[in-house]
Amino acid sequence: MSWRRVVAVVAATVVPLAAQDARDRLAGRVPPSTLIVLDSILQDAAREGLPTEPLIQKALEGGAKGIDADRIVAAVGASATQLRSARALLASAGESRPGDPSEVTAVAAALSRGVSPQLVGRLTAVLPGEPTGPALHAVADLVGHGFPEDSSVDLMVEAARLGLRGLRFLDVAAAVVQQLQRGHSRSAALAEVRALLPHVPPPPRPAPTAVSHARRVAPTPARP
Amino acid sequence: MNSQRVLPTGDREVSDSEVVARVLAGDAEAFGLIIRRYEGGLLRYATRMLGYPDAAADAVAEGLVRAYRHLASCRDPARLKSWLYRIVGNRCRSHLSRRSASDLSLEDAPPLPDPSDTEAEAERAEQMALVERALHTLSPEKREAFLLKHVEGLSYEEMAEATGERIPTLKMRVHRARAALLELLEEYP
Amino acid sequence: MTHIDPQVHRVLDGELPADALTAAQREQLAALQRAAQVLSDLPRASVASRVMAEVRRPAPGVGRRLTHWLTERHTISISVRPVWSLALAAVLAAVAVIPGHEPAPVLGDQEGIAQFVGRFPGAKSVEVVGSFTDWQSGAIVLRDDNHDGIWRGTVVLPVGQHEYMFVVDGERWVADPLAGRYVDDGFGRENALLFVRPVAR
Repeated sequence: MSWRRVVAVVAATVVPLAAQDARDRLAGRVPPSTLIVLDSILQDAAREGLPTEPLIQKALEGGAKGIDADRIVAAVGASATQLRSARALLASAGESRPGDPSEVTAVAAALSRGVSPQLVGRLTAVLPGEPTGPALHAVADLVGHGFPEDSSVDLMVEAARLGLRGLRFLDVAAAVVQQLQRGHSRSAALAEVRALLPHVPPPPRPAPTAVSHARRVAPTPARP
Repeated sequence: MNSQRVLPTGDREVSDSEVVARVLAGDAEAFGLIIRRYEGGLLRYATRMLGYPDAAADAVAEGLVRAYRHLASCRDPARLKSWLYRIVGNRCRSHLSRRSASDLSLEDAPPLPDPSDTEAEAERAEQMALVERALHTLSPEKREAFLLKHVEGLSYEEMAEATGERIPTLKMRVHRARAALLELLEEYP
Repeated sequence: MTHIDPQVHRVLDGELPADALTAAQREQLAALQRAAQVLSDLPRASVASRVMAEVRRPAPGVGRRLTHWLTERHTISISVRPVWSLALAAVLAAVAVIPGHEPAPVLGDQEGIAQFVGRFPGAKSVEVVGSFTDWQSGAIVLRDDNHDGIWRGTVVLPVGQHEYMFVVDGERWVADPLAGRYVDDGFGRENALLFVRPVAR
C-alpha cells in the first residue's frame, strides 16, 4: 500500500471519528432538530481545514443558554463564516501558516469585536510567522475605550518592533487604559505608554494564597 | 537639539547622562542632583499650569518619584529634561482633569502690592497678577505650550518629546497662545 | 483675537533676528517677552526632601525577602547522592508548603490561574459557565463565605483565550462586569473574554 493511500485511509477514518465525537458532545446539549444541520456545518468546516472546536463551543453555548434551534444554527454558521474570513485575511496578509487553528480562532474573535480587517495585514507585517491575535485583541481593547484605531495599531506596531510578543500586547493596552483612568487625555495616555515601551509592567502574579486555593474545573467530556 | 544640562560639581561638570548612569548603578543619592537641577523649573511650570502652589508641589514631587522609579525607561538620558517635563506635565493634566482649570484660589493669587513697597516692586506685582490672570484664561494645551516654549525654554523638538504632540501642532498652539495673551494684555495699558 | 504678524512669530521661534522687525512689530515682541519674563521667577519652595525620602525608602528587609522566596515557585537544580535525595525532597516540600492550607495544585506549563469575583447581594448561587466548562453548569461554583454578597472563586485553567458568563441562581446569565473585555455571543448578549497566562512565566 502506497503512503498516499495510507494517508487517504487515515484521513477517511479520522474525519468521521472527529465528527462522531462532536455528535456525542452535542447530543442532549442542543435541540435534537439542530443535530443534522450542525453536523453538516462541522463536516464542511473540517473539510476546509477550519478549526471546529469554536463551532462546537458555540452550539454548546446556545444549548446551555436555552436559545431557539434556528438561532443556534445561525450563530454556528456565522461563526464558521468568521473563521473562514479570518483564515483568508491571514493568507492574504502573507502569513506562512494561515490555517493555524489557535491563530484563526483568535483573529476571528478579534474581528468580531470590531477590529478592522486591514489591521491583520499591518500586524502580520511586523510579526511574520507569529500570532497576531493578542495584538488585535489589544487594539480592540483600546478601541473599546474610545481610542482611535489607527493610533492604537501604531502603538502595537511600535511595541512589536521593540520586541514585545503574545499577551504582552494586552499589557500595553492595559497600561494605556490605566493612564486614561488616571485622568490623562487619550493622546497623552498613548504617548506616556509609548515612552515606557518596551518596559510596560506585566499584570501582578497571583498571590501564593490564590494559587494554593485554586481548584481544578470539574471534569468535562474529553475534547478531540 | 541636544540640550543636555551640566551642573558644576566641584572641579568637574556632571552631565545628565552621567548622573542617570550613577543612579542606575545604585547611587540613589545622586538623584538629588537631578532634583536640584530641575525642580525649580518644574515647580515654576507646574505652578503656572495649576495655579495652586500646593498642587504644583504635589505634581512635581509625584513626577520626580515616578521618574526615579522608572529611570531605566528614560531611553535617552541626554534628553532627561524633556522626559521630566513629560512626566510632570502628565501629573498636571491629571490634577487639572479633577477640577476646573480656570479656578484660581484667591488665597494663592499674588499678594496685592503693599503701599510701603517701592514703586518698582508694586508695578512688578501688578504685572504678575495681570499676566497670571491672562495665562489662566488660556486652554490648558495653549497654556502648556506657551510655558514650555517661553518660560521653560524648551525647543520645539523637546516640547514634542515632552508632550507627545507633533511639532506643527505645538507651533500652532504657541502662536495662538501668544495672540490670546497679547489681546488680553493690551486691554490693560 | 489680536493678530500677530508672522514675522514676530518667526523671531520668537528663533528663525529671524529681532532687528528684522518694524517698530510696531517690535512692540508686540516686547509685550510678549515681558510677559514671559514676569512668569520666569523661580518659586522658593522645594520638594527635594520629600522626593529623597521616597528615594531612600529601604528595600524590604531580610525577613520579608525570605518569606517571599519561600512562598514563590522556584526551579531548583541540585546534584545529590541518591541516598540523600529523598530526605532533601522531603525538606524542600516541608519548606514550600504554606502552613494551614492544603497543598497548592501543581500547575503545568500550559496552565494558569483565573480569579472570578462578582457582587450579587441576595443571590443563592453564582457559578461560572464558559468555554472552559464546555458551557456546562456545576463545574465552577463561586462562594460567598462572608455573606457580604461578594462571590469569589479561583480556578486552574488552560492557558489561552476563553469566553464565559456568570449564572446567578441557576437561571440569570450575566456578563462579568469586571472582565473589561467582551465579545458578542451571537445570541444578543455579550460574553466576557478572558486570557489566561501561565503562572510559571
